[in-house]
Amino acid sequence: MSEQETQKVLTPETSVEAPKTKSKEDRLRQDRPSLGDWLELRLGWWGFVRKNLDEPMPAGVGWWQTLGNLLLTLMVFQFTTGIALAIYYSAGPETAHASVKFINEGVQFWGINWGLAVRGLHVYGSAAIVVATVLHIIRVFYWGSYKKPRELTWVLGVFIFFVILGLSFTGYLLPWDQKAYWATVVGTNMAKDVPVLGTAIQQMLLGGPEVGAATLSRFYALHVMVLPAALIVLMGLHLYLVRKHHIAGPVVPQKGKPKPFYPDQLYKDAWVVLGGVAIIIWLAVVYPPGLEGVADPTGVDFTPKPEWYYLGLYELLKIMPKELKIVGTVVIPGVISLGMILLPWLDRSKSRHPAMRPGIIIAGTFIILMIGFMTMKGVLEGGGGHEESESTEISSPEASV
Amino acid sequence: MSETKQVKVDQSPESQDRRKFLGGAIGLINAAIGIAIFGPVLGFVGGPIFQKRKKIWVEVIEEAELEMGAAQEVTYSMQVQDGYRKIMRRYSIFMKRSAGGVTAFDPACPHLGCRVKYQGDKERYFCPCHGGVFDEEGNVVAGPPPEPLKQYATKVEDGMIYIEKEV
Ligand code: HEM
Ligand code: FES
Repeated sequence: MSEQETQKVLTPETSVEAPKTKSKEDRLRQDRPSLGDWLELRLGWWGFVRKNLDEPMPAGVGWWQTLGNLLLTLMVFQFTTGIALAIYYSAGPETAHASVKFINEGVQFWGINWGLAVRGLHVYGSAAIVVATVLHIIRVFYWGSYKKPRELTWVLGVFIFFVILGLSFTGYLLPWDQKAYWATVVGTNMAKDVPVLGTAIQQMLLGGPEVGAATLSRFYALHVMVLPAALIVLMGLHLYLVRKHHIAGPVVPQKGKPKPFYPDQLYKDAWVVLGGVAIIIWLAVVYPPGLEGVADPTGVDFTPKPEWYYLGLYELLKIMPKELKIVGTVVIPGVISLGMILLPWLDRSKSRHPAMRPGIIIAGTFIILMIGFMTMKGVLEGGGGHEESESTEISSPEASV
Repeated sequence: MSETKQVKVDQSPESQDRRKFLGGAIGLINAAIGIAIFGPVLGFVGGPIFQKRKKIWVEVIEEAELEMGAAQEVTYSMQVQDGYRKIMRRYSIFMKRSAGGVTAFDPACPHLGCRVKYQGDKERYFCPCHGGVFDEEGNVVAGPPPEPLKQYATKVEDGMIYIEKEV
């Protein structure tokens, strides 16, 4: 695109210029078109790319709007590393632990432990997605970007968030080690507290009366098929709506004309994505993911502790007195989830400015701080893991679950 | 930009009625196809909800091997149907033998299912997950568990201790 064209005022109404090739119909129609022109006539792909690169970014849009693109890239990492892991992984109680142990140790050459590297990227990629998603949600919340006409962009986002949490919960069981086993016992027991349907939900998840072979198959199917398929559909719709409604500018409109997405915003995106990827690579190299002893329902020397981003909930369960158990397991998580879904309708103010919607801002900030505080508390308390010697030996299948 | 030409379609009132009718019929056919897809799948995946459970007596340990007095952790194996496999699965259980008979507690914490430990010196059961504490009779003393430890019915036959378990 030439310099003058970039200077044009871009608004949602600006018509998108047809790609150069289009302006010359005869060129497209000539007897022996170039491969590019041939494809363009049939796919119209370039128009789509062009439209996205020209997407108008209101003045004041910048670093905070890079998180969505970071998430997209991290998802590509998750899908790619996940497929590689599935090539080595075997989802049975006799084989799961051994196959993950093999991933950790079995494929090394040129001085690199390839399996551990891929598993490390997958493990830290999932944590990075949770962090980036939470930051993305927080930014959209304070910008009030969920307001008309973007309500459904937000609702789809909330469902994406639930699917992400579901992916980390189901993925956690797959190594079939002690940590995995006990986190699943506790997690699925929480479902039992749901009124009326609780036991049915729990049995559906477990595939039987207790965590066992059927649970592992179910979680594997959820983790590699059901939830990723749902995620792709939800992400596609989310991005479609983001483009349809265009990005909302700052709450106080800033002077200046909107700029096309390419190159300024994409350049910022690229740096943030590079930073995010560098962090997960660094974590994967410096703290390669371990593997506990094989799942054992009789083992006493093990204190279960969930993944760090569930620690807020874990602390909440600790402080709930016994009469109020259901408040911690179902009511508070349920109310927060429902509140997130309904947020665009709970916040009735016309203005997106935080000062014009103090009620929702105070409530939201309170919830964000409480979750942050409880999570910190859980992290600082430490604990969990083995008290006595840790065995990573694989006991015979008969001795395991 | 494109070569697609505006094609005239039949918009007459009769054709509109017909459209409505056929549209409804297509809706019904699609609903039937939807049921054909999801009906069998839901029944299949939901199977575990309708699994029949029954109570059986399970052999745990010889009475002679269990010392009188303090609670002890005993492991036993029993055959279970674990998903698609029939296996000997190991379980543990806390047993206490006294003049009055044998009591047996399930080590699964009634809060959210972690394993409790028996702390003999403090005469209590302790759950490390969220700090549940139970006395020797299994009653909740502190922490979030809403119910006492689950107790099994026991019997002694020919010197062997059995517990009654739902499988
Ligand atoms: C895999 C997860 C997600 C991906 C890949 C994703 C992607 C994106 C992208 C690329 C944008 C535009 C740039 C930006 O604002 O960063 C965006 C905007 C938005 N996202 Fe997401 N998102 C995800 C999750 C979520 C979640 C969990 C929520 C809310 C609960 C959410 C709500 C929104 C809203 C309301 C906008 C519009 C913002 C505006 O117009 O200013 N997204 N998303
Ligand atoms: S599982 Fe025992 S206290 Fe929560």
